[in-house]
Amino acid sequence: MSNSIIINADIEKGKINKNIYGHFAEHLGRCIYEGIWVGEDSSIPNTKGIRNDVLQALKNLNIPVLRWPGGCFADEYHWKDGVGPRETRKRMVNTHWGGVVENNHFGTHEFMLLCELLECEPYICGNVGSGTVQEMSEWVEYMTFDGESPMANWRSENGREKPWKLTYFGVGNENWGCGGNMRPEYYADLYRQFQTYVRNYGDNKIYKIAGGANVDDYNWTEVLMRNAGRFMDGLSLHYYTIPGDFWLGKGSATDFTEDEWFITMKKALHMDELVTKHGTIMDKYDPEKRVGMIVDEWGTWFDVEPGTNPGFLYQQNTIRDALVAGITLNIFNNHCDRVQMANIAQTVNVLQAMVLTEGDQMILTPTYHVFDMYKVHQDATCLTVESKTTSFKGQKDEIPSVHLSASKNAQGEVNITLCNLSNQDSAPVSIELRGLLGKNVTSVKGKILTSENMNDRNTFENPTAVEPVSFERLNINENELSFEMPPMSVLLITAS
Amino acid sequence: MMEADTKRNCKSCFQVERRSKSQISKLVQEQLQLETNLVDDTLFKKRMDICLSCPSLSSETTCLHCGCYVEFRTKLSYKNCPHPSGAKW
Repeated sequence: MSNSIIINADIEKGKINKNIYGHFAEHLGRCIYEGIWVGEDSSIPNTKGIRNDVLQALKNLNIPVLRWPGGCFADEYHWKDGVGPRETRKRMVNTHWGGVVENNHFGTHEFMLLCELLECEPYICGNVGSGTVQEMSEWVEYMTFDGESPMANWRSENGREKPWKLTYFGVGNENWGCGGNMRPEYYADLYRQFQTYVRNYGDNKIYKIAGGANVDDYNWTEVLMRNAGRFMDGLSLHYYTIPGDFWLGKGSATDFTEDEWFITMKKALHMDELVTKHGTIMDKYDPEKRVGMIVDEWGTWFDVEPGTNPGFLYQQNTIRDALVAGITLNIFNNHCDRVQMANIAQTVNVLQAMVLTEGDQMILTPTYHVFDMYKVHQDATCLTVESKTTSFKGQKDEIPSVHLSASKNAQGEVNITLCNLSNQDSAPVSIELRGLLGKNVTSVKGKILTSENMNDRNTFENPTAVEPVSFERLNINENELSFEMPPMSVLLITAS
Repeated sequence: MMEADTKRNCKSCFQVERRSKSQISKLVQEQLQLETNLVDDTLFKKRMDICLSCPSLSSETTCLHCGCYVEFRTKLSYKNCPHPSGAKW
């Protein structure tokens, strides 16, 4: 049986906010230090302390927005420790992650430099859990005030006269957990208080993001929207794809069974239900969809690589991760009316990373290639899709075998991203492209990421084992495309 | 565990970096049971001595260039030192 899909090129669902393709870099393990920041004196080639190989790889992804400094680290981070001459900055132990010494050499100025080099927007998460209203208020003043003020003067003394542009600011992180173990009613009140002093200076307009729910904690969303909805621009949501048990063992990133593959795919699809249900609650208080859903932590979470420090959250990345990324990004595209930003965790060396480093070496992960393929959707118009798909059967239940989203860009090109979730069966697919203003499809290009084995991955010994290649096996008949997707594959089709 | 708590598993709640050195050694030994390509004790000790005097060692256990417990990595024959300015072993 074939997978039958209709894409309506003339029925638009809305604009896919490019920020859905955002990233997250925390002071955790070797994400910031070693992964991004090596310092100006490092033997690793760098630009003002930021390693060039990682910078170039990330630039290619057109990262639209980067979240920093946490995560859990944000609610213990005191920004004033990270400005001024580096040799005099405070040294502290990062109690959250690995117990390593944090020398604060990567602070506000260095993060803003990174964003400038990546040509992306900064998304800064402030400290509610252990910080003060004054501390948060002064950080915003330090970054964005143009003129005479104590913080602006201090910024100038530290080498930056002009303010930075800062749009996205998070008022705390996971305040139900590491950000203060708060009840939603209490956090909603604190949010209202803290955000009052997150000021707009000059023409800088802050988009304020409230700390949101974990997974299916719908009561958190309900309380936040009811008690503080009118004070926020965005509300976050965190969900990780964990095949095993959070406490007892999440499962290996590389050594897993076919059943674990199925469970991982099923749990990746769960994001759709979460976005839908949290979105329904948001609709109740915000039917105009003014408040954006900000999924600012998502991705796979497995047991750390054997022999590595558990506090570093370092995991390998296989073709399974590529499927999770492809499915999740399709879900966000299809919910572009509510999801306004998402930030995969994390950019380098932590959880579902884009790149992995070891000393002066760097490799690209399968997830990197998915982000590279999917970047065509950034700021494009999402199209409606009707699909009848075959089932991918697990031991107890079944899920759709093919998952997709489609968009149209300003040039009229239609980009379709499809995932074949099955680890065993290829998927015959036929796509009818409707509504191309009477034009027939004249050009179709394909690019595919796939592999032979479920746990295939790139390693420092074999860095190009999993890479996208051109996909030529596309049959075109007027406005109908047909092809066969190999098992475990992510496919990009561009039709014009 | 209460129902409310199960909805509130953050990354930090799971972190277990405050293991003692003896706990880490036990963990490493268990993991090494699964490895087949190991160096002999003489080479292991030579490598460990270099790691233990390296400024890139954190908490006397972890290499900051790869995130590995050095007691694990130095035992693997197919691994080398990841120091960016040149492998020390």
